[in-house]
Amino acid sequence: MSDGPAPLERFWNGILPENPVYRQILGMCPTLAVTATMKSAMTMAAATGFVLICANIITAMIRNQLKAHLRILVFVLTIATFVTIADRVLAAYMYDMSKQLGPYIPLIIVNCLIICRCEVCASKQGVWTAICDAVGNSLGFALGLASMATVREILATGSWFDIHMFWLAGTPGEKFRWALMALPPGAFLTLGFLLGAGNWIGDAMAGKKKAQAA
Amino acid sequence: MKFLKQGWLVLVLATVFGVGLAAVDRALGPKIAENQKNETFGQIANLVPGGSAADTKEEIVAGQTVLKVYDARNRHVGWVITASGMGYADAIKALLGLNADATKITGIYILDQKETPNLGSKITTDWNKQYVGKNVLPPLTVVKTQPTKENEIEAISGATISSTSLTDIVNKAAETFAKNLAAETK
Amino acid sequence: MEYITELLLIAVGAAIINNFVLIYFVGICPFIGVSRRVDMAFGMGCAVTFVMAIAGTLSWIFTYYVLRPDAPLATAVYHLFGGEGPSDLSILNYLVYIFVIASSVQLVEMYVRKFFPSLYKSFGVFLPLITTNCAILFACLYILKMVVGADTPAQMWDLGQSLTLSVFAGLGFTLAIVIMAGIREELDLCDVPKPLRGAGITLLVAAILAMAFMAFAGVNKNLMNLLTPAPAAASTTDDAGKKSQTAETTNADTNETQITMQGAK
Repeated sequence: MSDGPAPLERFWNGILPENPVYRQILGMCPTLAVTATMKSAMTMAAATGFVLICANIITAMIRNQLKAHLRILVFVLTIATFVTIADRVLAAYMYDMSKQLGPYIPLIIVNCLIICRCEVCASKQGVWTAICDAVGNSLGFALGLASMATVREILATGSWFDIHMFWLAGTPGEKFRWALMALPPGAFLTLGFLLGAGNWIGDAMAGKKKAQAA
Repeated sequence: MKFLKQGWLVLVLATVFGVGLAAVDRALGPKIAENQKNETFGQIANLVPGGSAADTKEEIVAGQTVLKVYDARNRHVGWVITASGMGYADAIKALLGLNADATKITGIYILDQKETPNLGSKITTDWNKQYVGKNVLPPLTVVKTQPTKENEIEAISGATISSTSLTDIVNKAAETFAKNLAAETK
Repeated sequence: MEYITELLLIAVGAAIINNFVLIYFVGICPFIGVSRRVDMAFGMGCAVTFVMAIAGTLSWIFTYYVLRPDAPLATAVYHLFGGEGPSDLSILNYLVYIFVIASSVQLVEMYVRKFFPSLYKSFGVFLPLITTNCAILFACLYILKMVVGADTPAQMWDLGQSLTLSVFAGLGFTLAIVIMAGIREELDLCDVPKPLRGAGITLLVAAILAMAFMAFAGVNKNLMNLLTPAPAAASTTDDAGKKSQTAETTNADTNETQITMQGAK
């Protein structure tokens, strides 16, 4: 039953050509909600990656036993279990971060990215392909979150990963350069412009390829 | 039988996951509880002067779980209560230190807030030291100029609503607790 | 009276001040995906409100009686099997919520298809999508926070408050998505730069909408001051007068937004 793209192709597709944030436009809620700082964005990406990889492995292992009408139920059951585990681990070892992310950790359950990968890849292809696909998509998702958080954190606080950018004026943490970027509208603005930029680059590259081919 | 044939996978998975979750809860539960405890217990020395975290006990006053703070020589020096309510943007949650008979505020620590950065969020800075040493009654009020009376708090400029919200939260929590405490000890 | 005030504050808070879509960023997928036409957006909004009300109610019942630490039902069962002390099933929270949501979606779908075929035609297609709508799970989690995180047992949310939150959060979602669809219908006639077409421009419009909704922050504080009588002065008649006045002002506010929206059209 291993029809569909090869493992390595799945891996690479997940990172750039089918980037979850910029190309598939999946998992928008965390992309907007937790990208005010780099730290929370990366924690989120790690938690999502963990759940995605585990869920993909389990789904790929049981793919031959799946009944069509019960498959969504099985996916949701698997995802919710791993999200609970991720949530507990965060609460035990990174208490401050888990408090800061709050409800957005449980909201990974309904992150369309994970269900979509289970449905598209893991329920049709083998375990190895599913792992590659999950890792690739997690990296792609992390890339998306990182780009958002970089723009927002630097513009809003003048620091990156809590490291103060010394060549920018103002004292760390105290002087907000552009508070709007840390607030909801800033998230929408950043994602809108980044999506536009992504499309623009994508179009330009496609145009170049076409010109070369011709 | 038809049901089992269709659903055995779901049942097996549910059992496996259930056992897994129970194991996780067993392993990490105590650690999480400890984290939650540390969060409040770590602040005791700042909230009640002379308070010692090691000698403090949890107590239930009128259904509310509070901390009864003792000092190192086992004298009852005060209370730590949680206070929460709506701020400007979202809920504000704070810890409030009170003296032994709950008539004076001895300290305040903001646990959770999502006020506007650099305006409302100043409630977490030294600004909140204004509350320290104030009496619980009469209720505190917020003024926009230099405070002249004992029960006045100077608002953060540009964030009057955040300031009044926090003051209202403090007033309400402290008054309710003082009332409950008086009723219980009677 | 105080209870009604509280419900009103929760309603205003959930619907406009902390709008689920524009402030908490939940339910973004349908907000971008199904906001092309006003009638579709409205159908989606109704479906979400409906399911949210049911899921919110059920999740409160489960949280209060079974899941929260020391919940009456769970503790009783636990003691029946010889356990001691309070029970704590909070590790099952997320599993239970997601199943509550999935089954209420299923129930609503079956019920509506059977008894209201015409209604089913207008918003039935959105129902399966709602299972993975973060807004509904977020409402459940919000209720969880208000039940488990309360300072005193008296402040613990009851069924009425949970229901108010879920219904008005759903209405807030409807409001946001309908406004968005109205703007997007007009955007079809505009010359949008090619890379921004589709999701890009939608997000930029959402940014402006979020800014507009941020202006509501703090409204609840003043509402509360108006609605709760000052301890010394305020007589009852005075209070009633004030209340109708506030109701008018809030109405005027929402009307104004709608007018601006129509103006934008």
